[in-house]
Amino acid sequence: MSKKNAVRHIEQPKFKTRAEQLHFQAALRGEIEEEQPQLNVRKFLIGALAIFVILGIALGFTCYQIDKIGRMNEQIEQGLIEGTVGDEISIYMAVRVGIIAVAVLFGLYVLIKLCKPKRRKPNRSFWGDLCIYLVMGVIAVAMVFPLVFSVASSLKPLDELFRFPPRVFPQHVTLDNYSDLIVVLGQSWVPFSRYLVNTVFITLIGTFGHVVIASMAAFVLAKYDFPGGRLFFNVVVTALMFSGYVTGIPNYVIMSKMKMIDTYWAVILPAFAAPIGLFLMKQFMEGLPDALIEAAQIDGASQGRIFWTIVMPNVKPAWLTIIIFSVQNLWNTNASTVIYSESKKTLVYALQQIQAGGIARTGMAAAVTVIVMLVPISIFILSQSQILETMASSGLKE
Amino acid sequence: MKSFFGRYLTMKREKIKYGFHRAWKMRTCYLFLLPYAALFITFFILPIATSIYYSFTYYNILEAPRFVGLQNYINLILQDEVFLTSVKNTFVIAVITGPVGYILSFLFAWFINELPRWLRTIAVVVFYAPSIAGNAFYIFSIIFRADAYGYLNSFLLQFGLIDAPLQWLLDPKYILGVVIVVILWMSMGTGFLSFVAGLQGVDRSMYEAGYVDGIRNRWQELYYITLPSMKPMLLFGAVMSITTAFNVCDVPRALAGYPSTDYAARTIVTHLFDYGFSRFEMGYASAIATVLFLVMILCNKVIQSVLRKVGT
Repeated sequence: MSKKNAVRHIEQPKFKTRAEQLHFQAALRGEIEEEQPQLNVRKFLIGALAIFVILGIALGFTCYQIDKIGRMNEQIEQGLIEGTVGDEISIYMAVRVGIIAVAVLFGLYVLIKLCKPKRRKPNRSFWGDLCIYLVMGVIAVAMVFPLVFSVASSLKPLDELFRFPPRVFPQHVTLDNYSDLIVVLGQSWVPFSRYLVNTVFITLIGTFGHVVIASMAAFVLAKYDFPGGRLFFNVVVTALMFSGYVTGIPNYVIMSKMKMIDTYWAVILPAFAAPIGLFLMKQFMEGLPDALIEAAQIDGASQGRIFWTIVMPNVKPAWLTIIIFSVQNLWNTNASTVIYSESKKTLVYALQQIQAGGIARTGMAAAVTVIVMLVPISIFILSQSQILETMASSGLKE
Repeated sequence: MKSFFGRYLTMKREKIKYGFHRAWKMRTCYLFLLPYAALFITFFILPIATSIYYSFTYYNILEAPRFVGLQNYINLILQDEVFLTSVKNTFVIAVITGPVGYILSFLFAWFINELPRWLRTIAVVVFYAPSIAGNAFYIFSIIFRADAYGYLNSFLLQFGLIDAPLQWLLDPKYILGVVIVVILWMSMGTGFLSFVAGLQGVDRSMYEAGYVDGIRNRWQELYYITLPSMKPMLLFGAVMSITTAFNVCDVPRALAGYPSTDYAARTIVTHLFDYGFSRFEMGYASAIATVLFLVMILCNKVIQSVLRKVGT
């Protein structure tokens, strides 16, 4: 796409004089500083700090008051002290919500002011930025709330889990749910460590094989033009759309013919051939310069040697990425359709059985959720820069 | 005329010969491809082929498949009312979560693109975390719990918006809505990552050129510069969002029960799961899988042709 083509529908900005136009273009080139109303930064910061401190004190005070009233109301309900349950709490609630809203707005304002680049980017208005980041902030809070909430409820004692009205954060933090979980797992007739070993085994073997096999295939698909190669890749791209459920039934039949049902291989072998890994690897390898491979060829390296000593070390971000996708996938697999003997079940499967234990296990279920989600999220956080590097080449060319 | 055909055939033959020759010269390539191709064909292509075959048979694993022609498809469309419900639900879910999730993940990726690096990292983690958090959506069954201890109910009760707890996950009126909300929550997946990474790679000088050419605001910039340079990622994201939108199964099963009240949360995939793994009517389940598969490919073709027109 040429630059001219991309913007051909838009008219030139109208200028009254030639001088104005020249000035505009010079400003674009950065020869003239754009005139902007400059804020006195120091004054602004001091002001911001002062307002934050005031807001903080107000917020703290309101929270303290609300808790006090809440405690009093509880005591009144229990008949410990005289009085009636007051309505004041809702007033304080409104005040608190209002203060938080103002603080968030103001915080965002300051954040944008501080974070914005020295020279403002063209085509961005301050108020537009503010609105967008405000909406984004609210959505981000909404997105993260369930995760925070599951961590918080895994730390609640049983009486707080069934408190009315419920609170988001625990008042008496406890690890009881986790220790209960360990007790329950210790009582199961297959030891807990067995589930862990199963999952770790499946994840390790599956990921290792997947990386090696998929990168071998990706290497030839990306770097050599041979009959059938492009067709095969197109089929793999189509296969990105199949979920495990669509192919699940015939897969079950095929695996039972191959006597693989109720073995680890029923989980591991399909994971070797996961299309997403091949796809990402191939797209990333296409970015490698052909000259690198040609040079090695001229030096007399065999294809296998080129693959191991030249291509593989150069695509490290891609392997990390497919390792991570594969680990996430295999760690979260419950394989309930192909594995049924208790001693071969995966960790997630075993934990889901506990989760399904009904209302008495609410706390434990929350602890399970936290344990299950912690592994993939922390792996992602540790490796996100490599993942993003790989994903930059993930586009589907026509 | 004959000589024309003769020449055509010779040409074809030469072409095939040349193809074989090339393939022989590149034989090591096939060696490299072999392990993956073997596994891929066994676990992805063969299942689809057999699934199409089984869809014309009656098969219950114990007996050999018996050919019944189009009977499965006829039953599916004319007799199985639950299937029609599941098709309706799947389409409602797919039509809402697919495009909305897709557009939202692009918009979010675009908005966070201009943030400073550390803030962007946090934002990426926040938006991406729900889709990799395993079965963290389980927590929604506490939020939407049917009694007054459920968070949403108690919140609404406190503010006097309702006077009795609502049966979020049991009342057919609400189930589908709840499922859609949860799926949207999880929809910032691989496509989102691809967008974030792709936006970082857009050529900066394009924006400056656009500014000189008279682009006035961020939306024009989005349509005329950003989207056209993001096309490959947009296509990839479309494939991923079709996948998630049509393969909804775990969320309704975990939240709304299996089967859900009045089949209000039954999707094509849960229907397939029911017939395949609970009743072992593999032929019938294969017919469902084949239908789903065709719908997904069709959808992908339509979306790709729409995306090709963006920004041109």
